[in-house]
Amino acid sequence: MSGRKLLMSFPVTPTSHLLAEVRARGGYQTLQRVLTSMTPEQVTKEVTAAGILGHGGAAFPVGRKWSVIHLNDSQPHYLCANADEGEPGTFKDRWILENSPHQLVESMLIAAYALQVRNAFVYIRGEFDLPYRRLQGAVDEAYEAGLLGEKILGTDFSCDLVVYRGAGSYVCGEASALITSIEGKKGYPRNRPPRLTVRGLYQRPTVINNVETLSNIEIIVRMGAEEFRKVGVAKSPGTQLVSISGHVAKPGVYELEYGTPLAKFIYEDCGGVLGGKKLKCIIPGGISTKVLTDADIATVTYDHKAMEAVGSQVGSGGMVVIAEGTCMVRLLQVMLRFYHHESCGQCTPCREGMGWLHRIIDGIVAGRGRPEDIDAMVRISEANDGTTICGMGDAAGFATVGIIAKYRDEFEYYIANGRSKCGGRLEVDVAEQEAAHA
Amino acid sequence: MPDFFINGQPVTAAKGQTVMQAAKAAGFFIPTFCWHPSLSVSGNCRICVVEVEGEGGGGSWMEIACNMPVTEGMRVLTDSEAVRARRRETLQFILLNHPVDCGICDKAGECTLQDYHYEMNGLPSVSTVPKVHATKYFELSSRIVLDNERCIVCSRCVRFTREISKSHALGIQNRGDASLVRPVESRDFESDPYSDNVIDICPVGALLSKQFLHKARVWYLKATQSVCPGCSRGCTVDLWHRKAEWKLNALDPRENTAIARVTPRENPDVNGPWICNKGRDLAKIFERPRAEQAMQKGKPVQLGDAIADARRLIRDAKRPAALVSSWGSNEELAAFKAALGDRVECIVKSDWQPQPGERLEDDLLIRADKNPNTRTAQDLFGGEARLVPADSDLVLVWGEGTSFVDLPRGAKVILLGSYLAPENGHAEVFIPVSIQTERAGHYTNFAGVVSRFEPIVRKKDGVAHAEQLFAQLAALTEALA
Amino acid sequence: MNTIVSMHHLLPEFEKMKRRYPAGFESSLTLPCLRRIQQERGYVAEEDIDLVVEYLGVPRIQVEEVLSFYTQYRRKPVGRWHLQACRNVSCSMRGAERMIDHLAKRLGIQPGQTTADGCFTLDHVECLGSCGTAPVVIVNETYHENMTVERLDALLGELK
Repeated sequence: MSGRKLLMSFPVTPTSHLLAEVRARGGYQTLQRVLTSMTPEQVTKEVTAAGILGHGGAAFPVGRKWSVIHLNDSQPHYLCANADEGEPGTFKDRWILENSPHQLVESMLIAAYALQVRNAFVYIRGEFDLPYRRLQGAVDEAYEAGLLGEKILGTDFSCDLVVYRGAGSYVCGEASALITSIEGKKGYPRNRPPRLTVRGLYQRPTVINNVETLSNIEIIVRMGAEEFRKVGVAKSPGTQLVSISGHVAKPGVYELEYGTPLAKFIYEDCGGVLGGKKLKCIIPGGISTKVLTDADIATVTYDHKAMEAVGSQVGSGGMVVIAEGTCMVRLLQVMLRFYHHESCGQCTPCREGMGWLHRIIDGIVAGRGRPEDIDAMVRISEANDGTTICGMGDAAGFATVGIIAKYRDEFEYYIANGRSKCGGRLEVDVAEQEAAHA
Repeated sequence: MPDFFINGQPVTAAKGQTVMQAAKAAGFFIPTFCWHPSLSVSGNCRICVVEVEGEGGGGSWMEIACNMPVTEGMRVLTDSEAVRARRRETLQFILLNHPVDCGICDKAGECTLQDYHYEMNGLPSVSTVPKVHATKYFELSSRIVLDNERCIVCSRCVRFTREISKSHALGIQNRGDASLVRPVESRDFESDPYSDNVIDICPVGALLSKQFLHKARVWYLKATQSVCPGCSRGCTVDLWHRKAEWKLNALDPRENTAIARVTPRENPDVNGPWICNKGRDLAKIFERPRAEQAMQKGKPVQLGDAIADARRLIRDAKRPAALVSSWGSNEELAAFKAALGDRVECIVKSDWQPQPGERLEDDLLIRADKNPNTRTAQDLFGGEARLVPADSDLVLVWGEGTSFVDLPRGAKVILLGSYLAPENGHAEVFIPVSIQTERAGHYTNFAGVVSRFEPIVRKKDGVAHAEQLFAQLAALTEALA
Repeated sequence: MNTIVSMHHLLPEFEKMKRRYPAGFESSLTLPCLRRIQQERGYVAEEDIDLVVEYLGVPRIQVEEVLSFYTQYRRKPVGRWHLQACRNVSCSMRGAERMIDHLAKRLGIQPGQTTADGCFTLDHVECLGSCGTAPVVIVNETYHENMTVERLDALLGELK
């Protein structure tokens, strides 16, 4: 395995998520110390000094987001953990929800204390069943044990936590859509200004952080910012949970210390490409991130600056491995079908653009493509870049432009010949896969 | 008071204004579909994007103007090349699925999308994929029809029912390009008395009036200012009727003079940009069968003879009373006061009462008094509710709403009315008088705001203008008639 | 058609739920109440919308919009076993299209349809957050991961 483990630091058993075992491992001691010997400002200071970046995809500095909250401003503040995890290829928050829910609960309590939050929420996607039951179970245990509710651990600090289940909408993973959903409405994202930290849930200051981001808070406060910064690299302190899937020998969730060489991770830890095939490319962090080939992977380390330097991103930590022989046209079709299905429909470029992209690529795949289609897709993508209410339109555009840029020949071939250059393949080795599942 | 710059010109903005508000106030044009000055900011159409020059040599950025707070010193460009290119792209997206129905769409000639396409894009769609189809004729209510293909999902209609009429009767179902404006299934939109305002604010031909559907091209019509007589709010309206130069001999003459539709006439002092549905249906009031023939006890007579007879009755009456119309104009009421105010016991009457099912009053526009000029009438003749004195021997009834059984027995009745009614034949003398669409005048609303109405048609010869009639009725000798 | 059973008996549960939220958050209860009703009835009926509107004091249009926007809510019943197969990126790369074709053939229905005996409804869905164990099929609430054609056949056998 690559580097130090902060989150996946204990052996997972059928009972290791339960409160008794969590406490045996030292759980809730940090909360105790925070509530009895730290001020909210000190907590935020530690988080800011740690330099932790958000793990939801945008990599925004957490301390900077928190600092917008004015303490003692005589109005309610809210904290929401984003457990919507809808990005294709991303399933790492799920690991925390199923196996380490108390890590999240304790971290949220520490964050709530720092931000003067009386009511916290976890917005969990509606499809997640076991993760929801594990998390709600942990919340129930915490209430039972006086770790949630009134006067926690005998201090003046009270906090309620509600696990709010979504109902099937990818766009509710966007922070402003998430809180509009918690308000009981359709998940329509909001224009900024105002920032959500100024006017969010029911128009009150609200902090939304990813599940993994929040789960690190207890770790930072326990270790102290200085120790935390020894993990990872300067501009990317700490670790990243990476979910890897697709044509990979050992799919799953891994914890990577930032700075780990990406090639080592993929070829050693994850066993390389399924069936020993050659790598075509990987999608590193959510399907809108720019694909990387072996040439890029050979030298890049897994951290924000290095990934940006090769034109891509850490993103959501959802990695998809794509083997040689996969049809990139069909792959983009799957992605555009997804974006079309998930567009909320509010703003013109995305509402019309997603359907347009989808219909164009359906035409190409059906053998009816025209030469102008490629430029049309690029034009639609560029017209969605920075022009929409939320980032979904942009994301679809980035995915489209990125794949076309690297694999234009496949699109040209499909259009000219009415069929795929790679036999329309998305699976690469059926026998190997069946064996892997046996 | 931030000062900032639009296209190089200094502009002063009020505190808290957005770039859109400040620009409009200063007379700059920024296109909008979803933004409306009386509704909340939705920021979804993206057509109002403007360019903001970067500070200190930084790059410029583009953002929607409707949600952009004005900051001191910012430099906004509303018509740069980048803004124009962005608008063209936005219009491309809107036109992707929008059916080019202009040839059969009522909105043609007053359609924001048409106007913007003409001014800013003018290019055919670059799309090669088939358009998404949707319901083309959906009955939003018995008054409004919706074409989902034309709809650009700007949400103005939804926000109207949420924020203005507060009926919460419209919403957007589904998501993505399957989004559809739909009424709430409990049919509350049918009973929203302000529903038709969504027709005005719809920027395209998606929401259309059923009563006006396919009746006339708007460029054949002209709008004449008027005042709705439906209640004491006195909303200013536009009555739309065929332009004189477009009168067609082939048409039934009534079509050349009829009210084709009624729309609000924007008025910050009275009704803002809205009217209620009763105001939309003014044709139902003004185009009822008209009384055009003077009568004595039901026998048709010349107008001059009827006036002379009425004058004699008034001169000879011992205790004359009058029920004064609360639909009289300021001019007519003043003329009544001058001519007959001293000699006749004048009592103001409410010509119209609230109808069953009609909303009585609310805090938007609708008022309980269903008459347009009670204010002036009461200012001139007193406001206490009184009965006609039981010993009156002559009652001059002016306007609608009086049943003769309520009048003292033995009193003779002179009736001045505009519409056919059984009472007309029972009066001693009946004189037909003009209605507000046949003359100019003013009403004063409940709050004292005076508004003007203009005529859209000439009165018939056998009908009198009440304003001139009253002096004739009061003359003591024939010579003054 | 029998008369609809009322969901009034769920109100005490809703009250308990409401107490976990701050005052003034009634509107937020919309999604959880609808989910609980659907769990009980299998779908959300007209009468249920009326109940939620009355209980929470939210506009009826809000409830109707929510039901149409989120994919998990149904206003009509589905089969006894609701099979939802992911066909997003990783699942497609590990055989989802073959799984869906197989299910369609075995059940004799297309995605979006229900078998004539009311036993199975087949749908395809987007990413379920289970990409590492692709391909994945949800049966009612439960994730069935690492599916193969053989495993699907075994599953169908169990469910029948």
